[in-house]
Amino acid sequence: MKIAPAALAVCMTAWPALLTAQALDPALLLKQPTNAWPTYNGDYSGRRFSTLDQINQANIKNLNLAWIYHAVPGETPGAKVGGEGEPTKPGESAGNPFGVSIKATPLMVNGVLYLTTPDNTWAVDARTGAELWHYFWRTRGGIHIGNRGVGMYGNWLYFETPDNYVVSLDAKTGKERWHKEIADVKQEYFSTSSPIVVGNHVIVGTGGDSLDVPGFLESLDPETGDMQWKWWSEPLKKGDPGSESWPDENSMRHGGGMTWIPGTYDPELKLYYVGTGNPNPVMAGQSRHGDDLYTCSIVALDIDTGKLKWYFQTSPHDTHDWDAAQTPVLLDGVIDGKPRKLLAQANRNGYFFLLDRETGKNLVSYPFLETMNWSKGVDATGRPIPNIAKEPQVSGVLVSPPSGGATNWPPPSFDPETGLFYVGTSASYSVFYLTDTDPHPEGYGAAERASGGLGNTLRAIDYKTGKTVWRHDLPGGGTAGLLTTAGHLLFAGDGSQHLVAFDPSNGKILWHAGLGSNVANGPETYMLDGKQYLVVGAGDNLYAFTLAQ
Amino acid sequence: MIHFVKPCRVALVLLSGIGFQMMAQAPPGQTPPAPARHVGGGLGSEYKAYDAATLERGKKTYTANCAFCHGGNAKGGESGPDLLRSLTVLHDENGEMIGKVVLNGRPDKGMPKFGFGPEQIADISAFLHDGVRAAAERGTYKILDIMVGDAKAGQAYFNGAGGCTSCHSVTGDLAHAGSKYEPVDLQQKIVMPREGRGRRTASDKAMAVTVTVTLPSGEVVNGILNRMDDFAISLVDQNGDYRSFSRDGDVPKVELHDPMNAHTALLKRYTDADIHNLTAYLETLK
Repeated sequence: MKIAPAALAVCMTAWPALLTAQALDPALLLKQPTNAWPTYNGDYSGRRFSTLDQINQANIKNLNLAWIYHAVPGETPGAKVGGEGEPTKPGESAGNPFGVSIKATPLMVNGVLYLTTPDNTWAVDARTGAELWHYFWRTRGGIHIGNRGVGMYGNWLYFETPDNYVVSLDAKTGKERWHKEIADVKQEYFSTSSPIVVGNHVIVGTGGDSLDVPGFLESLDPETGDMQWKWWSEPLKKGDPGSESWPDENSMRHGGGMTWIPGTYDPELKLYYVGTGNPNPVMAGQSRHGDDLYTCSIVALDIDTGKLKWYFQTSPHDTHDWDAAQTPVLLDGVIDGKPRKLLAQANRNGYFFLLDRETGKNLVSYPFLETMNWSKGVDATGRPIPNIAKEPQVSGVLVSPPSGGATNWPPPSFDPETGLFYVGTSASYSVFYLTDTDPHPEGYGAAERASGGLGNTLRAIDYKTGKTVWRHDLPGGGTAGLLTTAGHLLFAGDGSQHLVAFDPSNGKILWHAGLGSNVANGPETYMLDGKQYLVVGAGDNLYAFTLAQ
Repeated sequence: MIHFVKPCRVALVLLSGIGFQMMAQAPPGQTPPAPARHVGGGLGSEYKAYDAATLERGKKTYTANCAFCHGGNAKGGESGPDLLRSLTVLHDENGEMIGKVVLNGRPDKGMPKFGFGPEQIADISAFLHDGVRAAAERGTYKILDIMVGDAKAGQAYFNGAGGCTSCHSVTGDLAHAGSKYEPVDLQQKIVMPREGRGRRTASDKAMAVTVTVTLPSGEVVNGILNRMDDFAISLVDQNGDYRSFSRDGDVPKVELHDPMNAHTALLKRYTDADIHNLTAYLETLK
């Protein structure tokens, strides 16, 4: 749906009447706010860089725990309950088998944090960690592996459920306004993403890899939940743009390309950027010869129409589950002496990409993962050239990175003061075995055996070259999401249950705190009452830190 | 009964970026709610488990009546669509939707009616639902025959370029390796013997990482590594005592000895043929 400028003006002037103390002022979404964290990445750029510097290198030693919020999911007493599934039976846990892990980046608006785990949304006082309300969704199924958080429009919140509903809540009370099914759980779709609100668009995506279904992105009306536009990740029929990259209509209609993670947005260009998922069947490519557009691609969509403006495919004809669902980070830099609007992504396949975000033109493709062994370099357009000998085979092929990738969904960070792009990476190998040799394979079509590797690393990448400027090899596990601040700090989990502050210039460790669980989300920061808070999720706890008085 | 599927660990890791163990079992003795394939409680994908006799009957009936159009594996044929991707099948619970189509046919699409009884419809439905399960449940995929290597070339690599003889002997630790392990397990052990993605701690002591910690006092502590991060290291010493030390940069001095280092180094050097050849060679050690 296209919105006429006049209608938009009316909409904007109507805002003050709608706004209450708790509502999100939409103007905040167009800035880089310090007194709020109004959208998944803190702002639309995906940089996860805060201009706050009250907490800085000089005083980080005084950073202390302010509060802990312990999230108890499920049909708890006092929870507001919705959903289309069966009630939780007495004695039955409504938690999930993956354990409760706060992977969401909470929004913080007007002193209230809003966070999620699959089927659950909470409002928590950002000053004290006190719970204000809890909403629980009775599920019909779907894989309950994680949820990235809520989107907010005025007084309304939106979150997605594993059984593919978008649920809208009243931010004041947690009371449900409506819910709307966007995909069919019986086809093994399951949704993890955080809605992103842009103007009067609520952008939602979905996931699912088990039964070969097509991916899409939808824009919903924030008041009614009605669909404004829908963009499919694949052409729908022969003759459509991109259809030349598939052998037939059947393969493209079952072609995957999930929209697992929230995208980024340039308000000047009015383009929404998202990385699409892998093609399906996931690891058996024999029924989908060709590049399989627009899977494993960074795409730019017109925010008002959902029309594709440009695409850049990161893994043509992928057979290793290397979706492009890593945050496409928007940054402004100087290339060849000229200021450019840029987009940077550290991709699951081991390459770092720098694109011109107006045109999609590739500027840098550099293999940041030293063990990467699946590509024969890049073509003239910067697109990696797969080595077909490394596609899964019956007898097994040794590939790095494994399907889990050189990196994955956890959000990276870009610090405009250092000019460095920070990302957690893993240098591992797997043996991939083709198990479905049918001309029409289904599902994954291959098995994978993890085969060790060289461990996990936090690295700082020069966005102009893709080269690693410094690296910190983590003796334990890997990082989750990252945050940089104007206090010259880089915050990261270390995979050994600590939150660590690094010097973003050189990787020197400046501070750490043991949390008892691994950091699971991207840390965030905000200012309240003149005090800078640092908030991070680890396991089922949310931890807030402030400077000791 | 409802069978709570165990998703493949790798699948979970790729989505979460963080590894974890999984539950797998349905509570014993619990009768499932009648029609639900996906049940409440948020446990993810759940597929019914059917007994072998039902599936065998279903396959027979299917093969005799349906395969001509829908293909032997139900993935579609000359004139009938893929049934494993059929919305009717995916939304069916116990044959109630599949049965309607079978009994009434789809005259507009040229599908005739079949006068099956309720048992036959239940059997065909079970067969189709199990086909969907087999596609979706990646943890149950069977690895096929992987033996393509050249045993002679594998022997040469073992004794030469691979450097395997510096630790292993085909008459010592690897004697009868070919009788002990299926080829795919053997191949996995060749590539990375230690389980758990090559983690440093191992239940098998011979594969565990050992560590030498030299304290500022000059005291030297040796043991099996328990855990290490940037801020602490812990180990179990020769007496079985647990010891842990704070770390601050290079103090105390920590030296790790990982018996898997040679295997890790090979990951970068191997061709896939080297791996297949080694597997073929070690499989000859009966």
